[in-house]
Amino acid sequence: MAKKGWDEFEIGAMLRTFDGKIDDIAATRQEDRAYSQNSSYTASVADWRLIKPIFNKDYCIDCQFCWVYCPDVSIISRDKKLIGVDMDHCKGCGICVEVCPTNPKSLLMFPEQADEETEIASWPKKDEEEA
Amino acid sequence: MSEMKKIKNLKEFSTSADRFEGANLLCPGCAHSIIVREVLNATNDDLILSASTGCLEVCTAVYPYTSWDASWIHIGFENSSTAVAGAESMYKALKKKGRLKQPDRNPKFVSFAGDGASYDIGFQWISGCMERGHNIMHIVLDNEVYANTGGQRSSSTPIGSSATTSPAGRVSYGEKRNKKDIVSIMAAHNIPYVAQVAPNKWKDMVKKIQHGFAVEGPVFINAVSPCTTEWKFDPKDTMNIADLATDSLVFPLYEIIDGHELNITYRPKNIVPVEEYLAAQGRFKHLFKDEYKYLIKEWQERVDEKWAYLQRREEARV
Amino acid sequence: MAFDKMELRDIEVWDGNFAAAQAMRQAQIDVVAAYPITPSTPIVEGYAQFLADGYIEGEFVMVESEHAAMSGCIGAAAAGGRVATATSSQGFALMVETLYQASGMRLPIVLNLVNRALASPLNVNGDHSDMYLGRDSGWIQFDAYSPQEAYDLNLIAFKVAEDHDIRLPAMVNQDGFLTSHTAQGLKPLSDDAAYAFVGEFKPMNDMLDFEHPVTHGVQTEEDWHFEHKARQHNDLMVKVLPKIKEVFADFEKISGRKYNLVEKYDMDDADICVVCMGSSVETAREVASEMRANGIKAGVVGIRVLRPIPFFEIIEALKDIKAIAALDRSSPNGAAGMLFNEIAGALFNTDSKALLSGYVYGLGGRDLTKAHLVALFKELQANADAGKITTQLQQFIGVRGPKLAYL
Repeated sequence: MAKKGWDEFEIGAMLRTFDGKIDDIAATRQEDRAYSQNSSYTASVADWRLIKPIFNKDYCIDCQFCWVYCPDVSIISRDKKLIGVDMDHCKGCGICVEVCPTNPKSLLMFPEQADEETEIASWPKKDEEEA
Repeated sequence: MSEMKKIKNLKEFSTSADRFEGANLLCPGCAHSIIVREVLNATNDDLILSASTGCLEVCTAVYPYTSWDASWIHIGFENSSTAVAGAESMYKALKKKGRLKQPDRNPKFVSFAGDGASYDIGFQWISGCMERGHNIMHIVLDNEVYANTGGQRSSSTPIGSSATTSPAGRVSYGEKRNKKDIVSIMAAHNIPYVAQVAPNKWKDMVKKIQHGFAVEGPVFINAVSPCTTEWKFDPKDTMNIADLATDSLVFPLYEIIDGHELNITYRPKNIVPVEEYLAAQGRFKHLFKDEYKYLIKEWQERVDEKWAYLQRREEARV
Repeated sequence: MAFDKMELRDIEVWDGNFAAAQAMRQAQIDVVAAYPITPSTPIVEGYAQFLADGYIEGEFVMVESEHAAMSGCIGAAAAGGRVATATSSQGFALMVETLYQASGMRLPIVLNLVNRALASPLNVNGDHSDMYLGRDSGWIQFDAYSPQEAYDLNLIAFKVAEDHDIRLPAMVNQDGFLTSHTAQGLKPLSDDAAYAFVGEFKPMNDMLDFEHPVTHGVQTEEDWHFEHKARQHNDLMVKVLPKIKEVFADFEKISGRKYNLVEKYDMDDADICVVCMGSSVETAREVASEMRANGIKAGVVGIRVLRPIPFFEIIEALKDIKAIAALDRSSPNGAAGMLFNEIAGALFNTDSKALLSGYVYGLGGRDLTKAHLVALFKELQANADAGKITTQLQQFIGVRGPKLAYL
């Protein structure tokens, strides 16, 4: 956000999350909210990451462990289904992979520059020892 | 009272629309935000929130960004409880006077603070809020250290932990005092609800938060918050450490209703030795030297004793 | 309305504390969070009694410390409603952290500061140490010299502080015991007239507006902090005094009582004058009149608004004066007095040839007697006659032991 001069912002260093009014926030999905430029939703921490999660939906059972334990609201679930990872807000901690119960895992960490399609094509097979 | 949000299972829980945002500045793998999400998602009611100075505050409201989708206030290190109690008082006043802009809402008033801000500097403020009967919930994000200022000991820091002001060294094993039992102290205020929670036990957490929102009067929640930076473990292991904390019974999960009725809410199927919990964290590394191993044994004895005590209390129904 | 109005007589006999409590009642405050401390306690006790008797509707939160009192006031004000409290001395000192937070968040809280000395040694009586402690905190500071003024200035403070162009907290100072516990006849407004003057509270950035969530109390580091502090200072410097003058004028219309940023007494043709605050202003006025009977053209300047400092009004009031005494009721502890410095700063770049000397008096409730003031005026006249200051720049008056004078 552009750095404003002293006379260009609201008094009291007060911030508003939304532009205009929001009616029933608990029933409004993120994509339907009018976030203001002051909400960190509009910011990105993608450059914090050294490694990133890749989601392979072939193995996902939609248990939602990754959703509930993601510290960064970055596991996107809609209608009880996991649909992807929010790569603007993911910091690459790897918790989602740790808590994933499938075999093989439906989420794995890769170097930031890894190509999603390539990695999914060469996804590890079921670990017989663990099973 | 408004209808309680129905959360039968995790799939149902995952339909929640978060009111806490990413691109905050908390460390990768921080448990604070996991706890905050579980708390906020436990209700669909409106929220009025506060935070004491500390990691959560300093990472979620750095101008010009806020990570909060509900009204939120930070004043100082010691007074998040009183800040939200002030807002709750205003709510009551305006409700009586018919001046609320949206009179049909049922807001929940929640204060977040770290262990430093709750066990130490904000202790008196919280005690005052609990005693006065405000309809608020105070939640401690208990990472057992002043993490935001770089790892100084608080009165929640457990014995044997290496903190920057009680470091392990050539002739010291680190912190010398046992952790303060804040749950008992708060229960002694005879408030409607006191509970200890952990983020890895999301269902237990949600149930307790919903219970806390449903009762009239002050609620105190102590939430264990494994700290990747100060406990010294890999960020991916936050939930593994939380599992060790609850399954070793170092952090037993229980609740105290009306100051006396104690219920254990989680009984691990396989109780993990305390040693495993300690071994997983860099802050306890030095305890595995021969000369300090007795501390691990003593620690196990303390945990066993506390567990036995909690079970006796539960059985006695007093 | 679920509370009763109070029938007041044309003239009521109230002390300064009760006068402030009555003004708070008439303003229909929503939340008071308070902690008792002498000599301010009767103000919030008064509010609690009005609440208990059904003369007001609101929440009285009796907290566990003054820090918590202001913390609760901040939370309540941010939630969106009319908020006030009272304190003194040590309690004020404990509040200081939160004073800066209240003003930085631009929350229009009214604080009755019943002035009392600061320990150590402990003392419950009036001096201005606490008032001076708050002067850089970003609050508007009014000073009442009598119970009537404590009443009037409370009503005025709400109207100024809550204005959406201002949105800054305000203190109303009055002298501990000398004003707070001295009953005098005063003329209150009717409940309806007082409330109509203060007006209905108009929320702004209120947390309880669930359709417009707000974040209060953010972190700003080196890339933003300066701009926010600059904004606050700008509004104090540019907007507040014109607003106060406007509200003073409005108040005069309904009460007939005229207030000014600096209160001039017999200053039109004065050669010498004292500048002071609190109940001393009234004593100084009486003595100045007596000096005039003896051929000394003495005047008095009372500071009505300490923050923002009425810089140009001070220059104007003192422009033709030959000798000025700045009377500070607080130990400067290693400097010239606050008023001495403010006046010197105001006059320095003007054509004024005034001789300025400073006096420290009345610490811990020590009386400022008429005899002290007579001697002081004579000293000023001697300075004026000699065309130079005949004493040291700073003198203590009314203290036992060898004469204390410095600079």
